[in-house]
Amino acid sequence: MTERTIQRTGAALALVGVGIATYISIADAGGGAPACIAGGHGCQTVADSSYAHMGGVAVSVIGIGGYVSLLVAMLWPGDAGRFAAASLSLIGFGFSIYLTYLELAVIDAICQWCVASAVVITAIFALSVTRLIRFTGAELAAQGRGG
Amino acid sequence: MATNKERREQAREERRRAEAEAAEAERKKRLIQFGAVAFFAALVVVAVLIVVSQSGSDSGGDTAIEGAERVDAGLSGVPQDGTTLGDPKAAVTITEYGDLQCPVCAAFSEQVLPDLISEEVKPGNAQLEFKNFNIIGPESDDAAKASLAAAEQGRYWQFIEVFYANQGAENSGYVTDDFLEAVATAAGVADIDQFNSDREDPALDKELAAVQSEASSLGLNSTPSLVVDGPNGTKTLVSPTLDDLQQAIGEVG
Repeated sequence: MTERTIQRTGAALALVGVGIATYISIADAGGGAPACIAGGHGCQTVADSSYAHMGGVAVSVIGIGGYVSLLVAMLWPGDAGRFAAASLSLIGFGFSIYLTYLELAVIDAICQWCVASAVVITAIFALSVTRLIRFTGAELAAQGRGG
Repeated sequence: MATNKERREQAREERRRAEAEAAEAERKKRLIQFGAVAFFAALVVVAVLIVVSQSGSDSGGDTAIEGAERVDAGLSGVPQDGTTLGDPKAAVTITEYGDLQCPVCAAFSEQVLPDLISEEVKPGNAQLEFKNFNIIGPESDDAAKASLAAAEQGRYWQFIEVFYANQGAENSGYVTDDFLEAVATAAGVADIDQFNSDREDPALDKELAAVQSEASSLGLNSTPSLVVDGPNGTKTLVSPTLDDLQQAIGEVG
């Protein structure tokens, strides 16, 4: 897989993440909750929990910021972009694990949209780490080979 | 024997190889250094986010009580007798087994119960009973005893609903004496000293243990669980919608 393919795939996934987080934020701003598919109640329960907001800000809004940052980092060339994408996606992945733990162990409800976001951030994390390991210093190595 | 040209080519090739190896070594060194920094920085950021998330979740359970007026309006005119709400002659009895620390129970209290009370309990189609089925932690017992103490002064359902409207994070230490007194006051419990005395009654432990046994014998293992009982049968529902409950009332009533 070329680095360009990784970047484009990661950017596309980040856009999907922006979409999911935006939908959840709009539902929250309207005083409701995102609609669960097949009429489940997990989305409402998670949205109503005290963990849906941090410092007065909806977690989904924080998610929008995170995914937009990831979109930029994915498209940013060179080592700076690779490290930024890996760091941001690691933060997102780690926090996503924590949020999933809260759903399963504390809130006792599953929000399908949160699960979708967790899947997206996991995929972005995997792509970012692959990009980091395989292509870090690629410009240096190319200069070395080129003489 | 190599010509001068061949020797120059060979030297150039060796130089290129050495530069490539140096660049690769530099690449790996950069990967390890920056990778380690990125990893630890990310760990710190995630830790900070978790701490902020946890501290924010403790916003429930403070003594600035909300929702008392809404609860009072919803229960206005509905007779209470101890732990039972509604007409004692109603054909159908709905028993909710809930934990006051349970967020799903709180959601049920906010989203389903008001309509259930207005559409089924007030017209006399069903009566409601709430039993403290404590599965989350020791603070659930403290909350349950407080609710039963409120029942002694005829404010059981107000206490439960106001508690749910101000619920904090599970097992976070928010169920303090101050919090319980604030909930009781907001729920209209007139004599707080009596309330505090009643919730220390050792008989309440036996009462709560009896509910545990009863729930266990019914096969219940989550909250809220609702048992809808009528002349034509019994149905057990877990975290039901209003439609689920009304269908059950129709089937057993």
